[in-house]
Amino acid sequence: MWHRATWLFAGTLLLGAGVYSESSWQKIRPSVPEIGRKEIEPSLGQGVLLGILGGLRNIIADGTWIRSYVYWEKKDRAACEALMRTACALDPRSRYFWENTGCVIGYDMAHWEIRRRGGYNKVTREIQDEIFKKYARHGLTVFEEGVKYTGGSPSLLISAGQLSEIKLKDSLLAAEYYRRAAESRGAPWFAYFLCAKSYWEGGKKVEAYLWYRKQYIEKLLPMEDGSPDDLNHLRYFEEELNVPFLQRIPRQKWEKKI
Amino acid sequence: MSATSAISVQGLTKDFRVGIRGLKLRAVDNLSLEIPRGQVFGLLGPNGCGKSTTLKIILGLVAPTSGKISILGYPSATSSARQRTGFLPEAPYFHKFLTGRELVRYCARLSGVAPSQLDSAVEEALALASMSEAGNRTIATYSKGMLQRIGFAQAIVHDPELVILDEPTAGVDPVGSAAIGKMIHSMRDKGKTVVLCSHLLGQVEQVCDRIAIMDRGRLVLEGRVDEVLARRDKHVITVEHLTPAAQAAAEAALQAQGAHVTSITHPRRSLEDLFRELVTGSRDA
Amino acid sequence: MLKSMKPSLLRIFWLARLTFLEAVRQRFFAFLIVLGAAMVLSSFAFRFLDFGHGELKFIADFGFGGLFFFGSILALVMTAQLLFAEMDNRTALTLLAKPVSRTEFLLGKFAGIWIVLGLFVFVLSTLLGVMLWGRWQELVILAEQTAKVAPQFSLEGVFSHALLQWFRLGVVTSMVLLISTIARTFLFAVVVGAMTIVAGQLQWLAQEALFKPAELNPFSHALLWLASRLLPNLQQFNIGDALALDPSAVATGAVSAAILSGGFYLIAYLFLASLTFQRREI
Repeated sequence: MWHRATWLFAGTLLLGAGVYSESSWQKIRPSVPEIGRKEIEPSLGQGVLLGILGGLRNIIADGTWIRSYVYWEKKDRAACEALMRTACALDPRSRYFWENTGCVIGYDMAHWEIRRRGGYNKVTREIQDEIFKKYARHGLTVFEEGVKYTGGSPSLLISAGQLSEIKLKDSLLAAEYYRRAAESRGAPWFAYFLCAKSYWEGGKKVEAYLWYRKQYIEKLLPMEDGSPDDLNHLRYFEEELNVPFLQRIPRQKWEKKI
Repeated sequence: MSATSAISVQGLTKDFRVGIRGLKLRAVDNLSLEIPRGQVFGLLGPNGCGKSTTLKIILGLVAPTSGKISILGYPSATSSARQRTGFLPEAPYFHKFLTGRELVRYCARLSGVAPSQLDSAVEEALALASMSEAGNRTIATYSKGMLQRIGFAQAIVHDPELVILDEPTAGVDPVGSAAIGKMIHSMRDKGKTVVLCSHLLGQVEQVCDRIAIMDRGRLVLEGRVDEVLARRDKHVITVEHLTPAAQAAAEAALQAQGAHVTSITHPRRSLEDLFRELVTGSRDA
Repeated sequence: MLKSMKPSLLRIFWLARLTFLEAVRQRFFAFLIVLGAAMVLSSFAFRFLDFGHGELKFIADFGFGGLFFFGSILALVMTAQLLFAEMDNRTALTLLAKPVSRTEFLLGKFAGIWIVLGLFVFVLSTLLGVMLWGRWQELVILAEQTAKVAPQFSLEGVFSHALLQWFRLGVVTSMVLLISTIARTFLFAVVVGAMTIVAGQLQWLAQEALFKPAELNPFSHALLWLASRLLPNLQQFNIGDALALDPSAVATGAVSAAILSGGFYLIAYLFLASLTFQRREI
């Protein structure tokens, strides 16, 4: 009886340890970006790799990335994407992998498919556009994923905006990406103009001007840089929109007299 | 359970499971034995007779299938019993990087020797085992005989009442064996009980007071050495300067009394005695 | 109660001391510590492979990887080898014939091995910490000169990770000790031990799957529930990157929670090992 009780106690101890480990894992998960996000789940293969590599992920990711170039050369879409995705999963905080994966998918793979289907002479213009859009949307998915893992990298958002502009020909979508880039930490100075320009080209001219003006006054003007290019663009918008003189941005000392 | 016995074994049986099908191999079969205190007791038998298994069960290293065992009145395999027991295993192996003194000191600590008595207990044990001088050398440099002696020292450092030695002279030369025999007798003279497990019959005969013989897991014989070895139906008379005439007269006189002379030979000393006579001193130091 | 436990604790201490002395004398230990140190130092040479990870992250990754990989091998092989050596050489016979209980014997073995692993972790972590700190100082100066944002680094984080790894290796040691008390050969203990470590590293997948019960049938759910309890989640100890380079990403109390979890598993496995070892015939 005592013997059985001891084994029962041992089993209870083990199960109790297991129950506690569930709550400790809940606390730890967010610290591991590869698996900390509920909305992003790695595939089983990626999960296995993450599990068995306690460290060395960077060097394995680098090796995987270099290997993916072999398949890029061969234009093997499936293998190339799988290896690039693996590199992203192994080092998800690295902007480099996400950005280049998105670009390869968004820009290159469409051409590979067209060539596989017989080339530009054989594939009709409409189908070509469909293929470009399909891969562009796929590329945008990668950028979105990367933005979540990198904590909102402005570089990825700008790349997404460019892909939207060039391949999807969607200025408003591009504008949304540029705006997110401009509002994120460490945004480059040209992000504001790109956003305003995209809104303008998308037909939202007034919104473009008002948003750009607000950003200029609140963020760009206080900076030492002063950003004369931005003011020049804003003056152009003011002219095009016939903004009354008194409502325009006050003249700066360095501006040339008209 | 007898209060006067050093070891009391009652109805001990041990079965081992062999192979995937779990066939039982009976190593010890309903063994009952009383080993009295203050004597040197020899447990003999051929290889595979179950004597080592019996010793391991007594020491609590192996669990019995059935039976009861007590050591000095305490149930065996308890801490109280083991505190009063010293054990030297067959072909002892010790950590080679330790010196002899460090080993004995380590064993003394594990056996519960008080820190205030540690130094004296260690030196005493080394002296008894004639290892005081070699005590500062690492065990890696020891010969077979020295290993046995340092093993003996670690077994007795905590002054146990019962000392169990499994094949203590296996692989040891006659000079070394004699030294071990002397150590055993000195333990007995101090009132300790020594249980000796061996299949070297000549040495057992010289050293032990009582013996038990096992075969195929069973006790075949048990008793005092003198009693079990004596042939009561025959007599030995040792005579010096026996001339042929004297021999004939003696034979006639004995036949007249109804005795029958079966043989007249010269007595032999043992090879071991001859060896010891010829070889002086230990080669170990 | 403490007074009555003192002799027992002393025996465990002496057993642990001898185990430690035996372990550090092994060439295997020296070999692995040298390999681990070489890996940490070589990270400097491989920095050119940095695809924008950040130099500190690359060096840290190399160092933590070496600690993880070689530490796991050391824990696995050394634990099995020391226990089997005692049983094969029959030094266990001599020790267990003394008033040393089997539980004390195992605890002494565990404590000695865990201290050796602590030494291993300390040496490599100190080396890595010094390298990272030195390089961080250089990068901070460089960032100031080029008006860029300096990378983050926490030396305290490196040593917090070292503590986590030490506990992880303690859990691994206790698992291997349990397996060794049941295994008949050293090879079996090492192979099964290795599989258990891998399973422990992948256990987080089972826990993640349990968070989505709707996707599982009752049998799979039961199996995963059991697997996620019986095996420790060793992945929770691998947060070195975050601790050293982005401490704000680590939730308050996360490190303590992981250590406590490891402690519970350690105690549970040692208790089980003690039970199975009682039945083992030496």
